Amino acid sequence: MRCLLVIALCVLVAVLAAPPHEKGLIINLDNGELCAISMQCKSSCCHRSSGISLARCAPQAAENQECSKKTLYGTYYRCTCESGLKCKGDISIGGSITNTNFGICVDPNSKEASAN
Amino acid sequence: MHWVWILGLVLLGSASGAEVCYENLGCFSDDIPWAGTVERPIAQLPWSPEKIGARFLLYTRQNPNNHQEISTNKDILLASNYQGNRKTRYIIHGYIDKGDENWLIDMCKLMLQVEDINCICVDWKKGGRTLYTQSANNIRVVGAQIAYMIQLFMENYKQRPDAFHVIGHSLGAHCAGEVGRRIPNLGRITGLDPAEPYFQGCPALVRLDPGDAKFVDVIHTDSLPIIPYVGMGMSQAVGHLDFYPNGGEHMPGCDKNIISQIVDIDGIWEGTRDFVACNHLRSYKYYSDSILNPEGFTGYPCSDGGVFESGRCFPCGDGACPFMGHHADKFRRPSGAEKMKFYLNTGNAKPFGRYRYKVVVTITGDRALVLTGAMSVAIYGTDGNTRQYQVHKGILRPGNTYEVYVDTENDVGELTMMKFIWNNSVINPMFPKLGAKRIEVQRGKDRRAFSFCGSETVREEVLQSVPLCTVV
Repeated sequence: MRCLLVIALCVLVAVLAAPPHEKGLIINLDNGELCAISMQCKSSCCHRSSGISLARCAPQAAENQECSKKTLYGTYYRCTCESGLKCKGDISIGGSITNTNFGICVDPNSKEASAN
Repeated sequence: MHWVWILGLVLLGSASGAEVCYENLGCFSDDIPWAGTVERPIAQLPWSPEKIGARFLLYTRQNPNNHQEISTNKDILLASNYQGNRKTRYIIHGYIDKGDENWLIDMCKLMLQVEDINCICVDWKKGGRTLYTQSANNIRVVGAQIAYMIQLFMENYKQRPDAFHVIGHSLGAHCAGEVGRRIPNLGRITGLDPAEPYFQGCPALVRLDPGDAKFVDVIHTDSLPIIPYVGMGMSQAVGHLDFYPNGGEHMPGCDKNIISQIVDIDGIWEGTRDFVACNHLRSYKYYSDSILNPEGFTGYPCSDGGVFESGRCFPCGDGACPFMGHHADKFRRPSGAEKMKFYLNTGNAKPFGRYRYKVVVTITGDRALVLTGAMSVAIYGTDGNTRQYQVHKGILRPGNTYEVYVDTENDVGELTMMKFIWNNSVINPMFPKLGAKRIEVQRGKDRRAFSFCGSETVREEVLQSVPLCTVV
């Protein structure tokens, strides 16, 4: 009995002493891992392909790719844009309710440059 | 003292000298090196062909969705869609797996998209779902059966051994080696992460070996030792070309948490398979992916993974980089060369193909400020643009040069522009500005270098466009 206890204690120590992993179970999730809200993901995009499918962390959209505007839902059908980019598209009330305010990622600076 | 040794060896020899013979296939003994060595301590005789019950499922462009079961019977062969003027590719699964598993059929379908071939999935599940030591010997009989079938094709259809390609995963890779040993000058063998226990360190007779075919290419994806890391594949180079994607030991996308791993996009079954042997199974996923996208799997000649990551094997020399996977045979190999090692990186999910660039960024800005943060670049070209790839994280010192290798998800064609972005990890009320003064990019596949010159500086989280230098 004591032997078992010692073993259990050793295991516990080993688990606690192990270096903290970079990847997480609940936050700091890698791309491809299941998520419930975008805050959990390293990429800060929790993506689902349809209303009934499971959501997984996915990379943010690059320039010229499809995107969603930021929503309060926590999950996206199209990911938000990478930093420095704007998701250009129309915002509608219907879109806000159904989480379908889609657009295309554009660089606000280069648009100005081409307009001038 | 000598006679003791001799007696011992004689005893050992007599203890494991059994032999079985099967019709058309010849005899199989459990003598050294088949058993009784350090690598293969337990002696097992292979089962009979009836007990293994190997099935051969033929897919062609006439029947891409439904297989025809063929055998070594001539009438069945003649009645099937098999045609002797086409190349023939066999796919052999490994331990515990089965021949009508999705990956074999999908691989056939993909190959039929790009070429008109006879694609034969070999199913030996009855022989593979037993003790490991037993199935490691059963593959000898399966290999002999395939070799017998190939001989039949060569007689009946006047096919040359060149026309045959055997693809084997895990134990199936060594099974392919057995086929090659029996068919001189066999065209090609592809070993997809050949099994390690009972084969690594064994003589060439037992395992897959460059001598087994005119061209042997191997993909290593799970090459850590079986004890204690449960790495099921070989680390030993056993082909003419040996590819070690992502270093050959840990595959990206294989370290997900249990639930995310099992509840896979491709279904629970695929997820459970990956949960058990994710790294090991990646080898055939890369191969399948490479059928339609050869350039994404360009391998760089290198001595080991650490050297590759440090960038010393970049870029490709003239014609020095083969494609990993299906199109590896397009590589013009120096005659006599074998066990050439190649390294590359892949993605963490489908599509796995990546394109490697070297990026060197020189930044400019106010030298008085000490900035910490991260900076990234995105590559723009005639065929689109990439995501942002991080160049450096930490202290950003204006005037310094930072070098990084990036593996992008798409090939952007001829480079036209770069975009630079940075962010400040601590809030700075001075609103500092930073910019890329010069960016040098070198493309891995053909060593083309592109220079970009920037003139402005930008605030954090603002993209700076850096065009090609006008004056060289």
